[in-house]
Amino acid sequence: MIVVNDLHKSFGNNEVLCGITEHIKEGEKVVIIGPSGSGKSTFLRCLNLLEMPTSGEIIFDGVSMTAPKTNINQMRQKMGMVFQHFNLFNNLTVLRNMTLAPVQLKRMSKEEAEENAMALLQRVGLADKANAFPAQLSGGQKQRIAIVRALAMKPKVMLFDEPTSALDPEMVGEVLDVMKELAEDGMTMVVVTHEMGFAREVATRVLFMDGGNILEQGTPQQIFSHPQEERTKLFLSKVL
Amino acid sequence: MESYTLWKTMISSGEEVTFWQNFYVKFYQAFIEADRWKQYLNGVGTTLLVTAIALVIGIILGVLVAMLRTAHDQQLPGHRNPLLGVLNVICSIYTTVIRGTPMMVQLLIMGMVIFSSSRNFTAVGALTLGINSGAYVAEIIRGGLMSLDPGQAEAGRSLGLGYIDTMRYIVIPQAFKAVLPALSNEFIILLKDTSLITCIGGKELLYAAQGIYSRTYEAMFPLIGTAVIYLAMVMILTWLQGKLERRLRESDRR
Repeated sequence: MIVVNDLHKSFGNNEVLCGITEHIKEGEKVVIIGPSGSGKSTFLRCLNLLEMPTSGEIIFDGVSMTAPKTNINQMRQKMGMVFQHFNLFNNLTVLRNMTLAPVQLKRMSKEEAEENAMALLQRVGLADKANAFPAQLSGGQKQRIAIVRALAMKPKVMLFDEPTSALDPEMVGEVLDVMKELAEDGMTMVVVTHEMGFAREVATRVLFMDGGNILEQGTPQQIFSHPQEERTKLFLSKVL
Repeated sequence: MESYTLWKTMISSGEEVTFWQNFYVKFYQAFIEADRWKQYLNGVGTTLLVTAIALVIGIILGVLVAMLRTAHDQQLPGHRNPLLGVLNVICSIYTTVIRGTPMMVQLLIMGMVIFSSSRNFTAVGALTLGINSGAYVAEIIRGGLMSLDPGQAEAGRSLGLGYIDTMRYIVIPQAFKAVLPALSNEFIILLKDTSLITCIGGKELLYAAQGIYSRTYEAMFPLIGTAVIYLAMVMILTWLQGKLERRLRESDRR
């Protein structure tokens, strides 16, 4: 579903991604772990071109994202993204947050979009917050809404950029539960996280990144119980 | 009326009058005699009209310049649009020149040099004020656009919304709320600066006052009256700003 070929990204003279080649298949739950500054967030943000790769190619759903004539906005409609800092639209109610893109991009009528949004809110137990503004919600609630906002576009892939890192410890669970449920429903997911428990439980594949490269990858079992690389062992010994 | 004529002759013949008699005569002369209050009223009308026209020009120019410059600054390195580069240079020359020269000089140049053949001083004045205001509005709005968390725009783009939609529904409404106090300040200054168009013959409030005291040789009442009218207009504007701010603050309630 997503093919990445020799992806490079530099900020000025600082090379953050040093040639990543990766293939993510439909239905996979790929969890990316690694120390901070290893390029995992940049890699994720390159997938939907929030960061423009310096070189290399990304093919999503059979279309080259990096080709100059590709309509990126159209491609992004099929890729949901959840951010570390939620990024709910502060000027809009929860319901409008969720219906803005589907209605504006003519994916659904206003009624359809609202119905769809309410069903999604029901699913994450926040139907009563439909008319609240983001400022009135807790971090966990905001992140759950950010997830269903992305889902409202009915994407084929969901990208998660450290979705629980900005949350109070108490609220991490409720967000991870939503993500687990989503995984069970068969959504293709790419998750950057420090939640090793989640990686162990949900991932079909774990990538360990360091210094702009994927150093090691495998099933959670392989990575967590029998890491091969010294760097992976060192990292895991500190976080587990 | 009779008392006015009586007291006026007393004053001009050098007779002693009380403070209040004197006050009444001056007041009557400045506002009531020959229906002069109508001249102030017309002046206020022109002042408001010029402010409104300048405001519209200023906002359109300001938003345009601010968005062009922000779009230019936010381009991804290596994907720079040459047209935006050229427009950005034009915009920055515009703000530099307008902010770097006095309003009065700009008015005189527009009135006496560029549009020297035009008799419609009020329109020339409104245009000049609008162009002037645009430069300040542009910088205010640019500040607002830059102050907003880039995550807001990223979230919009990640959903597939285009640049224009993201700006229109997400960035601009929030930026507008953030810059409202600064913008109101600019509009208050604009309202008061309309008095400068008297220097090229624009017939607004101060022009009316000047016309009156050049006939009565009594400047105090017309000028203080003018000041009071400006003050009242600004206070109404401030009150409206407060109302608008309260309404926009709706999304902040917790």
